[in-house]
Amino acid sequence: MRRMVTLCAAVTALASGAAVLQLKLAVQEKAEQVEGLAAQIHDDREAIRVLEAEWAFLTTPRALQEKSIKFLALMPPTADQVLEDPTPIPFRPRGIEAESDPGVLLPMREEKKSKKKTDDRAKGQSL
Amino acid sequence: MSAAAAYKRLMMEGERKSALEVARNRLMVAVILFFAAFSVMMIRTVELGISTPETKQVAERKIVIPPIKVARADIVDRNGEVLATNLETSSLYANPSEIKDPKLVAAKLVQILPELPLSEVEAKLSSGRKFVWIKRKLSPREKWEVNALGVPALQFQREEERIYPHGRLAAHTLGFVDVDGNGLGGVEHFFNDRLKDKTRTGEPISVSLDIRVQYALTDELEAAMSAHQAKGAAGLVMDVNTGELVAMASLPDYDPNDMRGSGGVERFNRATQGVYELGSTFKTFTFAAALDQGVASLEDGYDATKPLRVARFTINDDHPKNRYLTLPEIFAYSSNIGTAQMALDLGAERQQNFLRDLGLLDPANLELTEVGSPLYPATWRKSSIMTISYGHGIAVSPVQLASGIAAMVNGGRLIPATLSHDDQSWRPGRQVISEGTSRKIRQLLRLAVTKGTGGRADAVGYRVGGKTGTAEKPIAGGYDRKALISSFVGVFPMDDPQYVVFALLDEPRGTKETFGYRAGGWVAAPVVKNVILRTAPLLGVAPKREDAGLYQQVALMIEDK
Repeated sequence: MRRMVTLCAAVTALASGAAVLQLKLAVQEKAEQVEGLAAQIHDDREAIRVLEAEWAFLTTPRALQEKSIKFLALMPPTADQVLEDPTPIPFRPRGIEAESDPGVLLPMREEKKSKKKTDDRAKGQSL
Repeated sequence: MSAAAAYKRLMMEGERKSALEVARNRLMVAVILFFAAFSVMMIRTVELGISTPETKQVAERKIVIPPIKVARADIVDRNGEVLATNLETSSLYANPSEIKDPKLVAAKLVQILPELPLSEVEAKLSSGRKFVWIKRKLSPREKWEVNALGVPALQFQREEERIYPHGRLAAHTLGFVDVDGNGLGGVEHFFNDRLKDKTRTGEPISVSLDIRVQYALTDELEAAMSAHQAKGAAGLVMDVNTGELVAMASLPDYDPNDMRGSGGVERFNRATQGVYELGSTFKTFTFAAALDQGVASLEDGYDATKPLRVARFTINDDHPKNRYLTLPEIFAYSSNIGTAQMALDLGAERQQNFLRDLGLLDPANLELTEVGSPLYPATWRKSSIMTISYGHGIAVSPVQLASGIAAMVNGGRLIPATLSHDDQSWRPGRQVISEGTSRKIRQLLRLAVTKGTGGRADAVGYRVGGKTGTAEKPIAGGYDRKALISSFVGVFPMDDPQYVVFALLDEPRGTKETFGYRAGGWVAAPVVKNVILRTAPLLGVAPKREDAGLYQQVALMIEDK
C-alpha cells in the first residue's frame, strides 16, 4: 500500500512536471507568434501607407481623365442626364424597400401601398 | 534463577524493542526531510514552468503593435484622400577607405544614377575618408540596382521623403518642404509645428479641399489661360455656409515634389497673396450697402445718359445704354455711372464701414502665411467713393472677395474663409446685412446672368447667379487700357446658395471665339460655367427646373434695349 502511494506520487510528479514544461513551451510559441503577428501588422501598415500614396498617385484626377479620354468614349453628363431621384429609371432592379412611414393618414396609405405592391408584381411578370 | 532469567530476557527484549523504535523514528525524520525537500523542488519546478519575467508577462497580456514612426503627419483632403505623406526612402553613402577600385565603382554608380557627374563621384570615392554622401533619396529601383552591384562599401541610410501624390494639384494650398522636412509654404508652413509634433504624427490633418473639384477648377483655368494666352489665372470654390474652401487654384503653379526651377512667379499664390482691383464684382457690395441701409430701393434708378466727370476722371460705361436705368438694370448691365451715383448717396463713411465690416480692408484671416494685404486709398475722397463703388482704386485678394460674396448670398452672415475641415465646428458667422437684402442680392445676381453681362456663365439646370468683373491694370500714373484683369464670381444654385465659384484671368487676350473681347463676361464666365457643370454632381447639387417666379418681380424692371 505504501509502495503504491509512493509510486503514485512519483508518477504524478513526473507527469505534472512534463505537462507544465509542455505548457510553457506552447505558451512561448504562442507569444512568439503574437510578436510575429504584431510585427507583420506593423509592416502591413507601412505597406498600406505606401500603397495609399501610390493609389492616390495613380488615381489622381488628371491621370483618370487622360485614361478616360484614351480608352472610353464618354462625354460629361448634361444637366438633364443627372437624376436626383432614381425611381424614373426603367427596368431598375428593386432592392428591399424600406417600410414607408405610416403617418397619420393610415387607412389611405394602406390602400395606396397595397395597390403599389400589385403594380410591382405586374411589372415583375411583364419582365 | 528463573525470575532473574526472565527479567534479563525481558530487559533484552525491551532494549531490542527500544533500539528498533529509535531506528524507525530516525528513519521517519529522514523521510519527512526528503519529502519536504522534494516538495520544495516540485513547487519550484512548477513555478519555473509557469512564471516568465514580469515585463514579458505584461507585454504578452497586451499585444503592442510597434507604431509607424514618421517624422511628419499626413495631409488629407475632406474625403480622406492623401494629399501629402511621408514615405521611407534611402540615401546612399559610401565608405571610401574600403573601396579598392574607385574608378570602376564610380563608373558603375553613374550608370545607375546618370544625373551624378562622373568626376565628382570619382573624387568622392577616392578621397580615402570614412564617410561621404553619394546621393540622397533614391527611388526603390535605384536602391535595388545599387545593392545588385554588391559593393560592401556602399551603404544606405534610412530617410523619409515628403510625397505629394497629386503633384501640381493644390500645390499652393499644400505648400512644400525642404530636404530636412520643414514646411516652407502653404499649409505645410502654417501647421508646421502641428505636423512635426512627435506625439501626433499618426493623425493626419484634414484640409477643406476636395481634390476632384480642385482638378476641375485647375483644368478649366489652364484651358482658359492657354486659350487666351493669359499671364496667370486664379480661381476658388467656397462653401457659402461654412466658409470652407473646397478648391483653390493659382496658375502658373509648381510641383511640390520637385521644387527645382520654380521661382517667385510660380510660387506666388494669386488666390490669397495677389491683390487685384477686381472691377464690377464690387458693385455687389455697393448695392448691398445701399439696399441694406435704405439709401436706395430696387424701384429706384439713376440717370446714366452721359459720362460722369469727377476731378480729372471720367466715368464711362462698358455697356452704355444712354438712358435712365433702374437699379436692377444698373446691376445687370454693369453701369459704372449708376453705381457711382448710388455710392455718392451712400457716402464715404458708410461705404468704408461696410467694406471694413466685410473684412475687405484687412488681410484675410486664412490658414496660410501667404496672405496679401488689401490696397485702398488712405484718404477716402469723392473720387475714391465713386471708383471703389465699381471696384477700382481698391485691391483685394480673390479669397476676400469670395467670402464677401458668400456673405451677400447666404442670408447675410459673414463666415471667415477657412482651409481646415472639421465637421463638428459649425460657425454661425456675423450678420453683416439683413436676410431681406441678401434675398434681393440673390435676385440681382441671378438676373445679371440671365439678362445681363454674365450670360456665358449660365450652366443650364444649376441656377447660376453672378457678376462679371473687368478691370484695367494700374500702372504708374493711371491705368493700362491693354492689360486687363478679367474675373467672374458665380454662385449656385441661386434659390438655395451652396457654393461660390470665382475665376480670374490675368491679362487675357481676345480670341476668334470671343470676337476679340477679353472682358470677364467673355473669358472668365465660361470657366465658372464649366467648373459648375463638372463639379455640381460631385458637390451634391442636383439640376432642377428653375422657379421663374422667384425673380419675376425684379426681372420686370429690366428693359432689354
